[in-house]
Amino acid sequence: MTEETLTLGKSELRKDAWDKVTGAAQYVADIPLTDLCHAVIVRSPLHYGRILGINKSAAQNIPGVLRVLAAEDIPGNKIFGPLLQDQPSLAIDIVRHLGEPVAIVIADNLETARMASELVKVEYEPLEPVFDPGQSLKPGGPRLHPEGNLAAQFDIQDGDIEAGFAEADVVLENTFSVPRISPAYMEPENSLARWNEDGLITVWVSSQHPFTDQVFIADALDLPVEKVQVKSAVIGGAFGGKEDSSLAILAALSAWAVRGAVRIVNTRNESFLAHPKRHPALIKMKLGAKRDGTLVALRAMSHMDTGAYASYGPAVGIIFTETLAGSYRIPNVHFETFVAYTNSPLSGAMRGFGSPQSHFALESMLDMLAAELDMHPLALRRKNMLRPGDKMFTGVVVNDTANSLPICLDQAEAIIKRFSQIEPAPGKTVGVGMALAAQSMGLGAKVPDDSTHRLEWSPDGDVYVHLGSPDMGQGLAMAAEQVTAEALGLPYEVVKTIPLDTLTSPNGNVTCASRMTYMVGNALIDAADRLIQQLLDEAARMMNFPREQLSYQVGRVVCPDGQKVDAAEIASRVADDGRTLQCESTFSFPYPEETTPQHLPIGMPHVIFCFGAQIVRVEVDPEIGNVDVTHLVAIHDVGRVISKPAVEGQIEGAVATGLGYALYEEMPLKEHQQWVDSFTEYLIPTTKDVPLNYEIIILEVPEASGPYGAKGIGEIPLVPTAPAVANAVYDAVGVRVKSLPLTPEKLIKI
Amino acid sequence: MKSIQATFEINGHEVTLSSAPNRTLLEVLRQDLGLTGAKDACGGEGECGACTVIMDGKAVNSCLVFIGQVQGCSIETIEGLSGNGDLHPLQRAFVEVGAVQCGYCTPGVIMASKALLNENPHPSDEDIREGLSGNLCRCTGYVKIVDAVRIAAEQQPRR
Ligand code: FES
Ligand code: FES
Repeated sequence: MTEETLTLGKSELRKDAWDKVTGAAQYVADIPLTDLCHAVIVRSPLHYGRILGINKSAAQNIPGVLRVLAAEDIPGNKIFGPLLQDQPSLAIDIVRHLGEPVAIVIADNLETARMASELVKVEYEPLEPVFDPGQSLKPGGPRLHPEGNLAAQFDIQDGDIEAGFAEADVVLENTFSVPRISPAYMEPENSLARWNEDGLITVWVSSQHPFTDQVFIADALDLPVEKVQVKSAVIGGAFGGKEDSSLAILAALSAWAVRGAVRIVNTRNESFLAHPKRHPALIKMKLGAKRDGTLVALRAMSHMDTGAYASYGPAVGIIFTETLAGSYRIPNVHFETFVAYTNSPLSGAMRGFGSPQSHFALESMLDMLAAELDMHPLALRRKNMLRPGDKMFTGVVVNDTANSLPICLDQAEAIIKRFSQIEPAPGKTVGVGMALAAQSMGLGAKVPDDSTHRLEWSPDGDVYVHLGSPDMGQGLAMAAEQVTAEALGLPYEVVKTIPLDTLTSPNGNVTCASRMTYMVGNALIDAADRLIQQLLDEAARMMNFPREQLSYQVGRVVCPDGQKVDAAEIASRVADDGRTLQCESTFSFPYPEETTPQHLPIGMPHVIFCFGAQIVRVEVDPEIGNVDVTHLVAIHDVGRVISKPAVEGQIEGAVATGLGYALYEEMPLKEHQQWVDSFTEYLIPTTKDVPLNYEIIILEVPEASGPYGAKGIGEIPLVPTAPAVANAVYDAVGVRVKSLPLTPEKLIKI
Repeated sequence: MKSIQATFEINGHEVTLSSAPNRTLLEVLRQDLGLTGAKDACGGEGECGACTVIMDGKAVNSCLVFIGQVQGCSIETIEGLSGNGDLHPLQRAFVEVGAVQCGYCTPGVIMASKALLNENPHPSDEDIREGLSGNLCRCTGYVKIVDAVRIAAEQQPRR
């Protein structure tokens, strides 16, 4: 990139970092409020059961307890759900998963609330649970929801699958399984609410979608939305898992019920049991190819476990299905995906959103096919990769950003060569593997996706970004400030983000789907342009110059007589009039009608994709089956770098999560039918588990519709990691593990 | 439960407070002293390191320390690290290399790093990884955290 930029692509410092390194940053659990009460949730001890009765009196009689609430105490809608209205805020008659909220105890201190919560006597009739999504859809089992156990189903075909397989010289068939994993952000879920004398409820959340929380709270309390103010606190990580309103609703309900202020903070254990996870899935895949490696047919039949409630399960099913063919051209496909209810903890949004699951199966299959054809895995991928102008099976025509794929493969070739020359440690067997990845951006066609943000020029010269979507820790605010500074020609330092408050901020929509830099950036570039026009209008009026004779230059208005007036000066005169110099802009994710196929279900197709590749070198201990990832290179196209450290940070963090997915993370049922529900048993990568030799290659193949060419990077870096590790392990020891995580037992068992 | 009295030093100031003996240092810091920099990320099981503070020069998980155990001890928390608005070199390095994302792990990681540098002023990357292996971070993949600690260490005068 040769052109000079002001701040774009530079390593600016995050403005929220000062508060975070000094301990001053206020997360929900840190916000001090006077007369604060605490709520503790009474949770289901059963996976599935009927509630016969709830006796609140013993708890209610404890001194210090203000209220004990159950479903009957919710004045408005007792059920919520982002896609399907299926989730009771507090259980109604039935509990469908272990840890489901049944009642809530509010006391003037946490100890009392905890103690009293154990005294709420709930009588249950246990029912026989089902945990397997395939089993759950068979007739004769328990019916978990009135409409049945199928939360969503997708059946997508392109070409002629039978003819495709008939043409194939080689056909492979395999079944893959991927586990339930936890987003495991460090800050467990929480919420804080205060009922104010004027009837307004203020709710502080650690949430990716405060405007959605606002609607659900209003609905539950039967209040007009303007009576609910939702404020974004500092968010301690989210990764998709904080697209869930359950605690916001319960905190608001509690504050409303006691006419005071109430905080709820989940323990880690509650977080494991009762907050959305990554969907476990069973994927049956059949792949056909010609002898020369040309892929001709792909069939998949998959069952995803969405748990007791749908959460974002149906949408995850969409992206899973849409990414089953990965970054490849396959003329004949048939994909059937079933998203089933079970009595497992709910699964919903998590970084990658279906794509890590599909890629594990597909990218493993490709290496298996390469072995079968005696072809190099890179050559097989090169032969079949998408090129600009190709039609994907959804009918979407691939745009120019697919030009990043051959670059990824060329780089990968050199890296594989380099890795192969490194000597193994004594007693270890070495392998090198890679995988490509594709991740969609956006919520999908026919899903309304507008994102509004506002710029304000303050009389002190600072420009405020009223960001309509929360920064969940990834650095969205910095990206917004850099884009704004660039567009206004101002130093990064003077652009500042105002924390989200639904009463005063525009609605930027949920922070998710690898699209925030894209949405926010596009909206703010437009807002900046229009803010400049407004500034010139005001200046013309104030100084009595014809509007067309004024021009804008780095924070100033230039008058025909050469005089330069600071924007701050104009803003302050506008303020004297009791007005604000500000401008709002909405960007809508583009699904151009001419090019967006219309025959698919709502949420399909996605039209813009991110691409990337990862190459890993592993050392396997053949005796004990231990896998050590010694080297890793992540190659990712971001369209255009806004902030280099932030892009690297997204990749580094996602890759670590990808390694956890590959090697250790899973949340199985253990003895006595309890879920793994603590960091003692659920291991996430530590400093000692990330490879010492780590390299990031950032590509900048511009996305024409992106702000300065930028596109998303939040999710894709964890997509290729697990299959790349599996392929490397196969290369090392010749064992093909078809289920994640790749634990030592699986390697030595075979 | 009978309260106990504990007198200890916190960020250079002596405090005396009474508390139920079954409460942890983390609870006392956050609830009684308003020092909310130390966090709870694992439910007080000693698994996450988000609650790390320095007790008599050593990093401890404050969720595992009962209040009675701090009698006569000197405790340092993240709030005491930056004197008169100046960031400690570790804090500055974390800001400068971009080792802070959501920031929830950050106070604990920085305090663990400080204890590490007290003991080993010029650690290798391996030493840093070893020293911080009890501190979980889900955002950064630790790459920039290790960078930050190395940079802060390099800025210390060589002995
Ligand atoms: S809170 Fe997790 S180690 Fe102390
Ligand atoms: S920065 Fe988020 S957990 Fe470490």
